[in-house]
Amino acid sequence: MGVRLYQGLHLENPILVASWPGIGNIGMIAVDTLRGMLGAEEFGEIEPWDFFYPKRAVIRKGVLEYLEFPDNKFYFKVIQGKEFIFFVGEEQPTDGGRVYAEGKKAYHMANLVLDVAEKFKCHRIYTSGAAVALTHHTIKPRVWAVPNSERLIQEIRRYENTVLMSDIEGRGGQGNITGLNGLLLGVAQKRGFEAICLMGEIPVYLQGLPLSYPKASKSVLEVLTRSLEIEVNLDKLDELDEKVERRIEEFYQQIPLAIRGQLDRLKHVTYDKPAGPGPITEEEKKRIMEDVEKFFKKRGGGG
Amino acid sequence: MSQGYPIKIYKEPDLRRSSLVLGWSEDMGNLGGKATDYLNRKLKGQEFAEIEPEDFFSLGGVAIKDNLAQFPESKFYACPEHELVVFQSYSPVAEWHKFLNSVLDVAEHHCRVKELYIIGAIISSSAHTTPRELLAVVNSADMREILSQYDLTRDMDYQTTPGERPTLNSFLLWIAKGRNIPGVSLWVPIPFYLAAMEDPQAQKKVLNFLNERLDLKIDFGDVDQEIREQNEQLTRARSLFPEIDDYINRLESNLTLSEEENGELIKKIEEFLRESD
Repeated sequence: MGVRLYQGLHLENPILVASWPGIGNIGMIAVDTLRGMLGAEEFGEIEPWDFFYPKRAVIRKGVLEYLEFPDNKFYFKVIQGKEFIFFVGEEQPTDGGRVYAEGKKAYHMANLVLDVAEKFKCHRIYTSGAAVALTHHTIKPRVWAVPNSERLIQEIRRYENTVLMSDIEGRGGQGNITGLNGLLLGVAQKRGFEAICLMGEIPVYLQGLPLSYPKASKSVLEVLTRSLEIEVNLDKLDELDEKVERRIEEFYQQIPLAIRGQLDRLKHVTYDKPAGPGPITEEEKKRIMEDVEKFFKKRGGGG
Repeated sequence: MSQGYPIKIYKEPDLRRSSLVLGWSEDMGNLGGKATDYLNRKLKGQEFAEIEPEDFFSLGGVAIKDNLAQFPESKFYACPEHELVVFQSYSPVAEWHKFLNSVLDVAEHHCRVKELYIIGAIISSSAHTTPRELLAVVNSADMREILSQYDLTRDMDYQTTPGERPTLNSFLLWIAKGRNIPGVSLWVPIPFYLAAMEDPQAQKKVLNFLNERLDLKIDFGDVDQEIREQNEQLTRARSLFPEIDDYINRLESNLTLSEEENGELIKKIEEFLRESD
């Protein structure tokens, strides 16, 4: 079980951008959109069979022609003298039906991705995922940024529409990034790579829906492309967002009026610093959160 | 403990050019378990190896079935007179690639296996009175040709539907192909209301094929008796319970039942067969 590179590639000092699926597929859509828009070329993959169960069998005239496994591919692009490696994993490797990777397999996969980063002397790694937040789907999502090194904090403070964990109300700089989008950050630290995880906010009431949330992917990409100093047209994400937005609205209208009334108040949350007493108090936020949780429990898991 | 290499060999089997028959315990209609038990009993299969469970099964306790504690065993049996290896195992729940490769490691390196036969069952909406069919999926065109002389359905076209995953049997067939072991995955459709019970007709269908193909010279008098007994029980159920008869009549006329009716038929048949045992 290892990495297979198709071609002898020579890169000097690239940046690696990696992502796996997660809540709202925010990170994966962001990274895969960027990869597609830059026209990055596939140059390798992680051999999937020890990590994944096959996803598709094709049988023709009684002969098993092939089995297809989830893709875990590396791509590269040199643009304006800048070198990029993208890694997009179609699934997180799990045992026994969990959604997020953990344990031996996850650690192994993170290390295989970083083996490629090391081979090509990557100087920076970005991962991306979702941040479940008390926000409303009509509000532009912020991006929560978590670096793996103290010296990246000042850089992150300069990013627009971006917050550190210490800036997030009631978190005191604490948190948890589930799955490989987070684990890669930690393993990168262990192996001496500097890395940042960019997480687009998704409203708490959407986290269990089987929908992507491209609005947050766009926020992530705005931050990422500025940080990478590249320009891409993000209209494609707007189109996708419009389609998803309609489905979200349909779902939103099904939420009982009393809870929807509470959620509507999230439209008025302000993040201006210093955090003064906004239109919603911390106590009210807590109550909204409790109501939302009760509602989704009753619905059978929020999905 | 296996420490990364999960195979335990108790005794090297005396095999020169064997065939491997594989069945999963407690699959649909318990077809794989019953068919491999039957082969071992009839051909005096001797256990010679096993795969350690720790990497492949959830070992957080034991399941209990029919008052007995169950433990996930994965065992190899040799029938040297017939150049046959039988592998019977519970389906692994993790590290499938490693597990299936371990099976083929034993087959190749200790048994010189030349062909692979995998037993499987699929749900059928037909009545039990419909003759069982045997479907075959092979991993090479050569194997397809070899099987042309047998009573098999060999021209299946299929793609995994979105949201579903391929079967473990397809996974094994694909790995065998990569190791140049010709193989066939055998599928017997089992009436849905017998899926949680046993289906001796399905057992006979697959065993009969193996008997012919591997020249095992088995007399199936005992399986025929089981088939007769089950048919009698089902006939009795139909005469005692008009609703069961009505449901089965409709299935025999190629009509479909509603989800609720399916559930009711399953429940009544299972209750009846359990009480009759």
